[in-house]
Amino acid sequence: MSTPAHRRRTGGRVRATARRAWRTEGLARWILLVGLVVTTVFVLFALFAPWIAPYGFDQNSSDGVRFPKTSGPGPGHLLGTNDQFYDIFSRVVWGARTAVLVVVLSVVLSAVIGVLLGLVSGYLGGWFDRITVFLMDALYSFPSLLLAIVFSFMLRERIGGSILAAALSLTAIYIPQYFRVVRNTTVAARQATYVEAAEALGARPITVMRRYLLPNVTSSVPVIGTLNAADALGTLAALGFLGLGIPPNEAADWGYDLSRALDDVAAGDLGPALWPGLAIILLVTALTLVGEGLSETLNPTLRRPRRTAVVLPARPEEAP
Amino acid sequence: MSPASGSLPRYIAVRLLLVLPMMWVLLTMVFLLLRVAPGDPVTAAVGDKLGPEELAARRAALGLDRPLVVQYLEYLGDVARFDFGATISDRRPVLDIIANQGGATLTLTLGAFLFACAIGIPLGRLAGRRRDSALDAGIRLVGVVSYAAPIFWVGIMLVGLVVAYVPGWPTFGIADSETLYYVPDRTGILLLDALLANDGVSLVDILQHHVLPCFTLGLLLSGVIIRLVRINVIRALDEDYVEAARARGIPERRVVRRHAFRNALVPVITVIGLQFALTLSGAILTERTFNWPGLGNELVTYVTARDYVAVQGLVTFFALAIVVVSVLVDILNALVDPRVRY
Amino acid sequence: MVLRSRPTTGLTAPSRRGRPRLLALGAVSAALALTLAACGDGGRDTGDGGDGGSSTPGGAAPADSAPWTLGTTETVTAMDPAGSYDFGSWNMQYNIFEQLLTIPAGADEPVGDAAESCAYDDPQTITCTLREGLEFSNGNPLTSSDVLFSFERNLAINDPNGSSVLLGSISNGDPEAQALADGAIETPDDLTVVFNLNQPDTTFLKLLSTATTSIVDEDTFPADALQADDAVVGSGPYVLESYQPGEQAVLARNDSYTGERVGAAPQIFVTYFNDPAPLRTAISSQQIDIAWRTLSPTDLASLEEEGNVDVLRGEGSEFRYWVWQTGKGGPGKDVAVRQAAAQLIDRDAIAQNAYDGTVTPAYSIVPPGFGGQKDSFAETYGESPDVDAAAAILADAGIATPVPITLGYTPTHYGPNAVDEATEFAGQLNDSGLFEVELADAEWEEYQNLYKEGAYDLFILGWYPDILDADNYLTPFIRDGGFFANGYSNPEVNTLLDTELGETDTAARDGQIGQLQDIVATDVPLIPSWNGQNVAVATPQMSGVLETLDPTYIFRFWDITKSE
Repeated sequence: MSTPAHRRRTGGRVRATARRAWRTEGLARWILLVGLVVTTVFVLFALFAPWIAPYGFDQNSSDGVRFPKTSGPGPGHLLGTNDQFYDIFSRVVWGARTAVLVVVLSVVLSAVIGVLLGLVSGYLGGWFDRITVFLMDALYSFPSLLLAIVFSFMLRERIGGSILAAALSLTAIYIPQYFRVVRNTTVAARQATYVEAAEALGARPITVMRRYLLPNVTSSVPVIGTLNAADALGTLAALGFLGLGIPPNEAADWGYDLSRALDDVAAGDLGPALWPGLAIILLVTALTLVGEGLSETLNPTLRRPRRTAVVLPARPEEAP
Repeated sequence: MSPASGSLPRYIAVRLLLVLPMMWVLLTMVFLLLRVAPGDPVTAAVGDKLGPEELAARRAALGLDRPLVVQYLEYLGDVARFDFGATISDRRPVLDIIANQGGATLTLTLGAFLFACAIGIPLGRLAGRRRDSALDAGIRLVGVVSYAAPIFWVGIMLVGLVVAYVPGWPTFGIADSETLYYVPDRTGILLLDALLANDGVSLVDILQHHVLPCFTLGLLLSGVIIRLVRINVIRALDEDYVEAARARGIPERRVVRRHAFRNALVPVITVIGLQFALTLSGAILTERTFNWPGLGNELVTYVTARDYVAVQGLVTFFALAIVVVSVLVDILNALVDPRVRY
Repeated sequence: MVLRSRPTTGLTAPSRRGRPRLLALGAVSAALALTLAACGDGGRDTGDGGDGGSSTPGGAAPADSAPWTLGTTETVTAMDPAGSYDFGSWNMQYNIFEQLLTIPAGADEPVGDAAESCAYDDPQTITCTLREGLEFSNGNPLTSSDVLFSFERNLAINDPNGSSVLLGSISNGDPEAQALADGAIETPDDLTVVFNLNQPDTTFLKLLSTATTSIVDEDTFPADALQADDAVVGSGPYVLESYQPGEQAVLARNDSYTGERVGAAPQIFVTYFNDPAPLRTAISSQQIDIAWRTLSPTDLASLEEEGNVDVLRGEGSEFRYWVWQTGKGGPGKDVAVRQAAAQLIDRDAIAQNAYDGTVTPAYSIVPPGFGGQKDSFAETYGESPDVDAAAAILADAGIATPVPITLGYTPTHYGPNAVDEATEFAGQLNDSGLFEVELADAEWEEYQNLYKEGAYDLFILGWYPDILDADNYLTPFIRDGGFFANGYSNPEVNTLLDTELGETDTAARDGQIGQLQDIVATDVPLIPSWNGQNVAVATPQMSGVLETLDPTYIFRFWDITKSE
C-alpha cells in the first residue's frame, strides 16, 4: 500500500491509454506507430550520438588531415561534407541530440508551468484567475516567432549557452496553450460531485488539486506536448534561418546548418541543405503523427464507433 | 428571440473594452523585453566606429540614458495620443511604415489563404470522406509534411525550380521596379492601386510576383486546413441529420456535399481565424525569403537594429491585428451559430 | 478588366509612390517627362528625348545608356547628409549632392567637384574656390553660404545616426552644444570658402570628398533638423525622384548638373534587399543588372563558376583584425604572448578556408595602396606561421605553455563567415600546442559590452575607413587604447601620430606612418587578419562597374552604362 492513490490512478490511466491506443482500429494506430518509430530513431540518435556519429559535431579534421570542403557523399563521409568542413552525417546525428534536448526542455518546462498555473488559476478563480487569463491571452496574441526572436536575443547573453537560451525562449511561447486547456478543464472539473464532496470533507486545496483535479486535466497534455514539440523544432529552424541559431562550435543545430547551406542550394549543390532539412521534416512529421494519433485515440468523438447499420426503406429524393 | 440576441452586443462590448488593457499589457511587455535585451540602437549602428564617450553622447541624445520609468511613461503618453513615434535607425514614422507596407503583408496573407483553401479544402474533404483509406493516409501525410517543412527551405527550393524552368518569372519583391514607380499610391495596397489606376500591365506584373510567395506560405497553411476540414467532415458525417439523410437513401456523394461539408466549414472558419497568428509568423519568414516589402521583413530588420520604437510599434500592431481578428471570429461565430452563447 | 498600357505621363500621375519631386517644377521636367513616357511603354530605350542634357557644356558628354537597376543589402539611414554614417546612405548622397571635392574612380587624391580647387595654405588652413554658376536641381544658386550652412547644420544637428564626429577639426568641441567653431569657416565672397582648422590636420582635405560634407540648399533644408528623405534637394548628377524606404529608390539624371560627373543613364533604380539569398537569385537570373554589397563568399564563388554574370573584384579597404585585450590583467598583458599569436596566425588559410579566397591576407594595419604602407607584420614574423619561432618567443619570456586564452567573435554582425574565421584561427593556435583556446561568442550588442569589460583576451573587429588616408587606420586603433579601449598606450606612438597629422611633406609623413606600423608589429596591440575586396556582380551588358570598385567604396552611378 505504499503507492499513493493518485499515482496508482495516473499509472492505470497511462496503461489504459496505451491499451486503447493499441486496440484502436485502422489508420490511427498506424499513424501513431509510424510516428513513434521515427521519433524513437531520432531519440536513439540523440542518446547515442557519440557512438553513432563517426566524428564530433565540430570536428573538421581527423589525424591532422583537414576534411574536404563541400564534398559529395563518398568514402569516409557518408553524406559528404559542408562548407565548414564538417561531416554532414555526423552533424545530422549530433543535431538530433540538440533538437531533442531543446524540445524536451522547452516542452517539459512549459507543460509544468502551464499546467500548474492553469490548475491553480482555475481552482482558485477570482481576481487571480482573471489576471492570469488576461496575461496569458496577451502572451498568446504575440506572434510566436517574434517572441522567440526577442527571447533568444535576450536570453543568450544572460545565461550563456545557446541551447538553454533556445529552449527557454520556446518555453515562453507554449505556456499559454497548456494554461488555457488545463484552466478550462479545471473550472469544469471543480463542479464535479466528487470534488465538492472532498471539499466538504475538509480536504486542503492543495490536496484537492493534486489528487482530484490534476489527473483529470492532464489527459490533453500529451497531445499538446507532441504538437508543441513539432512546432518548437520548426521555430528553432526559423531562428537558425534568421541568424539566431546555435553556433556550430557549441552544438550541431539543423536550423543553423540549413541556413548556412542555403547559398549552396542557390549554387545547385543540394546536399548540405538536403539532409538537415530532411531531418527537420522527418522529426516534425513524426511528432505531429504521434500527436494526431494520440488525439484520435484519446478523443472519443474521433474514434470510429462500431455501428450497426440501420436500413430504412429508400425514398425517392426530393428537390429542396 | 433567442437569448443570444440579447447577450451578443454586450459580449462584443466587453471584448472590445478588453482590447485596451490588452494593448497596455502588450506595450509594457515589448517595452520591457527590449530594454532587458542587451544592446541599443546606437551600439547596433556605430559600435565599431566610435569610442565609449561618443557612444554615450549619442545615447544621451536619444534620451536612452534616462531612467526606464521616465521613458516608459513618456512612451505610454505618446501612444495614448496615437503617436507611435518615428524609428530611431531611419526616422520613419511607425504609422507610415504600417500604412505603406502593411498592404504587402495583407495581400501576401490573403493570397496565401486562397492557395491554402484551394489546396486544403478539396483534399481535406476527400480525406474525410474516404476515411482510413490509403488515400486518406496519403493526404494526411501531405498535410503534415507541408506543415513540417521549414518555409524558407521550401521557398528557396521553389525559387531554384522556377529560375531553372520558368526563366523570366519574378522570384523576389512585390513588383518590378517600373511598376513600383508608375503605379500611383492611393491606398497603400499596391494591388488595389494598380486596379484603381486601371493599369493592366502593372496588375499582371504584381499578380505574377504574388504567385511564388503566396504559394509557399499557402502550402504551410494548407496542412492546417487539410487537417481541420478532414476532422470536421468526419464529425459532420457522424451527425444525426447526416445519418438521417443517409438512411433516406440519398447517395453518399450528395450527403457529403450537401450536408456534411457545409456544416463542416463553420468550425473551419473559426479555427482559420485563430490561425492568424501562425500566418503572421509564417509571413515573417516568407517575406524574408522573397524580399517581400511587408511588415514582417521590416520587423526583423528593426529587431536586429535594436530599434525600440519601430519594434514596439510594429509588434503592438501585429498583436492588435491578432486580437481584432479573434474578436471578429467570435462575433462571426455567434452570428452563424445561434447556439453559441456568452 | 481590360489590359491597358501604363499611363503615358510618368510625371503627372497623381501622387506617385515616394511622392512627387520638386523637380517636376523645374524647366527640365518637360524633357524628362518625355523620357519617362518613353520608358513607360515598357521599352527601356536610351533615355534622352533628343533634347535632354545629353551634351552638357563644360562636362563630359554622357555615354548612351539604358536605365538600369542596382540591388543591394545596404540600407539607407537618411538621405540628408547630416543624418547618416553608412554606405547605403552615403552612396545615395554622392549622387544627389555635390561635395567640394570628389575622388574619381581609381584615383588616390581628390579633385574638384563643386570646388574648382581646394588647397592647404598651411596645415591648419584650406581655401576652396567654387565653380561659377552652380545651381541646385530646384534652380536655386549654390554659393559659399550654402557650403557654410551645410557644415553648420551638420555639426549643430549632431544627429545620433550622423557623422558630424568626423568634423572634429572645425567643431567647437562642446559635447552639450556642438556647433561650428567660431570663425572655422569664412566666406569672403560667393565663390570662396576658407576652413580654419583647430589643429594641423592633413586629412581634412580628403574629408571634403566624403558624403558628410555634401552641400545642401540653405533655402529648403532646415538649419536645426533633418530634411525628410523624399524632400532632399542637391546639385549632384542625379535627383532623387522617388523613394520608398526598404523597397526602392529611383534616381533621374539632373540635367542642370554641369560638373565632371554627368550621369550616363537617364534613370537608375535601386532595389533594397534585406537578405543576401534573394539578391543572389535576382542577379543570377538577371532580374537586376548589378548586385553590390553584399553576397556571401559561397555565392560569389558559385556565380563565378556559372559564368552567366560577371563577378567583378576591385581593391577594397575593409579591414578585419583581432584585438588583444592588454589592460585587464589577462594573458594579453604580456607582449610575448601577443607576439606569439602574431607569429602563429596563418592568414592564407583563413582567407581560403573561411572566405573561399574572397579576401586578401593583411600584413599591416594599414591596407595596401595607402601612402606609407608597409607589410610590417610580414617583415617581423614572416608571411607563413612559424611554430618554433613562437615557442622561442614564449620561452624567452619565461611564459608557461600552453597559454589559456579566450577568443571572442560575434556570429551575425560581420556575416555568417566570422564564426569560420574564429574556428580557423582557434584551430591554428591550438594546433601549435602553445595556446589553449576557448571560443566565446555573443550577439553584436552584448559583444561590445563584453569585450570592453575584458571578457575576451583576443577578439575580432571590423573597420571601414571614413577617408582614404593611412591615419584613418592608425589614430582610431592605437592612440590610448583606440576606440575599443583595449588598454594599449604608448607615448612614442602618440607623439608620432601628432607629428604625422601635422606633416605636410608627403615623403616625411610616409616615413612616420611606416614607423608607426613597425611599432604596431612589435607591440602587437592588434593582429591584422585580412583586407576585403570591393566586389560587385554585373550582367554582361553593364560597363564601368569594375572601374568604380576601388577602396573608397563610392559606387559611381554616373559612370556606369548599360547597353541594350
